[in-house]
Amino acid sequence: MLYRVIDAEELPLLVEAFMRDHEVVAPVKSGRSVAFETIGSFDDIVLDYTTTLTSLKKYYLPPRETLIEFDAEGGSVTDYELEVKPRVLFGAHACDINALINLDLAFNDGRYLDPYYDAHRAATMVIGISCTPSDTCFCHLLDADEVRGAYDLFLQDLGDRYLVSIGSVEGANVLESACNPREATDEDRRAFRQITRARQESFSKDIPDVQEIPMLMDAFHKDEFWEELGGRCLSCTACSAVCPTCYCFDIADTLDPDGKTGRRERIWDACTSPQFALVAGDHNFREGGRERVRHRMYHKLNGFNSVHGRYLCVGCGRCVRACKADISPIEVLRFFERKGASDAK
Amino acid sequence: MPNSAKVVVEPIAASAAVSDGEALIKANPYRPWEARITSITPLTDTEKLFEFRFVDERIRNAFHHEPGQFVEVSIFGVGEAPISISSSPSKGGFIELCVRRAGEFTTRLHEMQCGDIVGIRGPYGRPFPFEQMKGHDILLVAGGLGIAPLRSLINNIHDERSEFGNVTIIYGSKNPREVMFRDQFEMWRHRQDFDLYLTVDNPDDTWDGEVGLVTAPFAHLEIDASHTYGAVCGPPVMYRFVVEEMRKKGISYDHIYMSFERHMKCGMGKCGHCQIGHQYCCIDGPVFNYWEAKNIQGSM
Amino acid sequence: MSERSSGSIPRVVFAGFASCFGCQINITNIEKHLLDVLGQIDMRYWQLTSSDPMPAQFDVAVIEGAITTKDAEISAKRLREIADTVITIGACAQSAGIPGMASDDIDTRMKDVYSDHVPALISDSAYSPRAVGDVIEVDFAVPCCPVDPYEFVRVLQHVLYGSNIYPHTATLCGNCKQNGRGCFYGRGVMCMGLVTRTGCGARCTALGRECNGCAGLSPDANIDMARRIAVASGIDEADFNKALEMFNYNNEAIMELR
Repeated sequence: MLYRVIDAEELPLLVEAFMRDHEVVAPVKSGRSVAFETIGSFDDIVLDYTTTLTSLKKYYLPPRETLIEFDAEGGSVTDYELEVKPRVLFGAHACDINALINLDLAFNDGRYLDPYYDAHRAATMVIGISCTPSDTCFCHLLDADEVRGAYDLFLQDLGDRYLVSIGSVEGANVLESACNPREATDEDRRAFRQITRARQESFSKDIPDVQEIPMLMDAFHKDEFWEELGGRCLSCTACSAVCPTCYCFDIADTLDPDGKTGRRERIWDACTSPQFALVAGDHNFREGGRERVRHRMYHKLNGFNSVHGRYLCVGCGRCVRACKADISPIEVLRFFERKGASDAK
Repeated sequence: MPNSAKVVVEPIAASAAVSDGEALIKANPYRPWEARITSITPLTDTEKLFEFRFVDERIRNAFHHEPGQFVEVSIFGVGEAPISISSSPSKGGFIELCVRRAGEFTTRLHEMQCGDIVGIRGPYGRPFPFEQMKGHDILLVAGGLGIAPLRSLINNIHDERSEFGNVTIIYGSKNPREVMFRDQFEMWRHRQDFDLYLTVDNPDDTWDGEVGLVTAPFAHLEIDASHTYGAVCGPPVMYRFVVEEMRKKGISYDHIYMSFERHMKCGMGKCGHCQIGHQYCCIDGPVFNYWEAKNIQGSM
Repeated sequence: MSERSSGSIPRVVFAGFASCFGCQINITNIEKHLLDVLGQIDMRYWQLTSSDPMPAQFDVAVIEGAITTKDAEISAKRLREIADTVITIGACAQSAGIPGMASDDIDTRMKDVYSDHVPALISDSAYSPRAVGDVIEVDFAVPCCPVDPYEFVRVLQHVLYGSNIYPHTATLCGNCKQNGRGCFYGRGVMCMGLVTRTGCGARCTALGRECNGCAGLSPDANIDMARRIAVASGIDEADFNKALEMFNYNNEAIMELR
């Protein structure tokens, strides 16, 4: 990876270079929290935000996306074109870029390339930025506090300057044309080391660091804990709506008002929705909150891992905040921690 | 700087320049290809066998399936449904789907006529290991509509009958009226192509076959376990009992294959609806061997 | 060659019982699509737009409003006898809605209005308001107060052409989060989204107004958990229970609270 340093005063120039020709999405103030929105000027950006309510997922996998259009009367596929306008996502944290890597693994695997996802991905640049953990962040426990790849530039805040990791030729071109990037000095490297160490130490100590999580997900699969956790579920699917890596979707046809033509869309869905595992004949393979919540956690902490070698959960903590019933991976980690206590039952 | 990116979906006629059907299919795996219903055979009160032919010759030539795979069928405006292929891969140019009228989609499909157009995309899923099974005895157990995917395997075996040893079919239904493809199976039994055990839970006056669960014939079944592959498909409750019978006969975990039913919506391991534990029924299955199934949380 | 099975155009009637007729009016609000929608059906009777009498034969009955009199019940049963398909529109038809709030003690309510001189026309026929589904079998229900006209069109087309979309019973918060909204409970404001069936797009909360639950309680609602969440946010338990009643008067899960 190539590294360069720019001054903090140069950052507006970088953002403005992107804004000249492209939509730039960045963290901005929204009510009492921060949200990713299209910005009108550099000054809109909240650089030191901790987390956002929802993730960047919608820029790759829109909540509703047309797959095809059809003539329902004649029974044929008709012309449809999706054009994704180029977009720059500025200010993504490491967890969210790791989430993007996970979505890439799901959508662009070798067997079936997803052309819609691929188009969004191809038209989007990602500029990451370093962060300070909040009390609900646990990315460091799931190997998602650092990110390698999937971004064009990653800005490490060193106070009055940024150490910039350059991930793509396009990123390098914009950086060099908008700013005066210079070689990193020993002082820059020391500052980087001190800051990453301070960050590492600032994660909440209340969230337990548990070893062998995938194995534990299998070993405790039948524990009554899941009944208790799933019994609290409101079946609201807020967890998956805010999750940067919940990528499940439904496919449904919608007719136009005249009933003659229509479109097939994919629509965000969630395994915590009661009908998710329903099959013809009304058999539901995951009938209760216990099965549904356990399945979601299983996929996040074991299932995806056993296929792709990475946790699907990136520890961003959004579901911790969104779930009114206090269901989150943190509760699962705490359960495992209790089971490991010397007086555990 | 990034550039804009496009996904273009066109009517078949618009892509006249492309001669390679496989390239057309691969370009967008979500796109259903128009197919015409060319034959409808009522099988029972609730099941019909549909024969489909792709309208476009390039797709027709590029479409190849293996026993155990499924397709996503579209009725434009109604939606899509995953349906397993019942015809043998050795017969090209058309595919047969055995469809039970169970929900809204299949009710609408049952109302359709020869000549009507649907959309089909696929085939999807991991099939039965047909090549591996060659040179072995085969024990096939079907319950109810489970005969639909197994029929593809049975027909394929029949087409290459000399490649296999003894072939035994146990097929259980609720009552005689629900037995499908009976004439065909009886004919093959008559010609001593297969050993056939037809069994029903509730016999009537006409029934001269066996009575009881699909596991009943196992009592007087003699098999050479070390040279046998088992294949099972049926309602969810059936698997545990049948595979245990196969295990008792001594068939190895990894020689017992079963096809699972889930609601595969995308068919390509993305939408999540068919997930079982860490596996996607649509790309990792729907055919799993017993060892794999035992290692999937929530499979049985 | 059509992939749709051929058949005659279905004859449709619209009937209104105790309600504000707002749902029917809202359907007329999709002006630019209204002719397209009407083009797919043979509209035989629409109280709101014409005073022609109800025909003797039809295929689909669309019903707005709660059943509040014996006469209305007879009318509803007649609609059911004739129609192959019954669609209710709106909360009043689905759960008795606003009229349902008078269910508990209808005699006192009559006295409040008419004092001791309740007209025979009323006293002979009026009874505790109930949902259409409590009187006849209902095939499809378009929820909310008022209905989303596009959801009505979707359900109508479902009846006409079929659809493999099954009704979702998840509750609203996921939809609200999709809209990027924070939670009212964080501010100590009661919101019925926790237990209310999804499908409306969470437009009220997107406009900064808490959900009043007009889509009705989800069959999978976790009422106990939702109440604990509300109380923990400083909401009075009685207020929460009262709010649950508004659009769920005929719901068994709510009846025991009264």
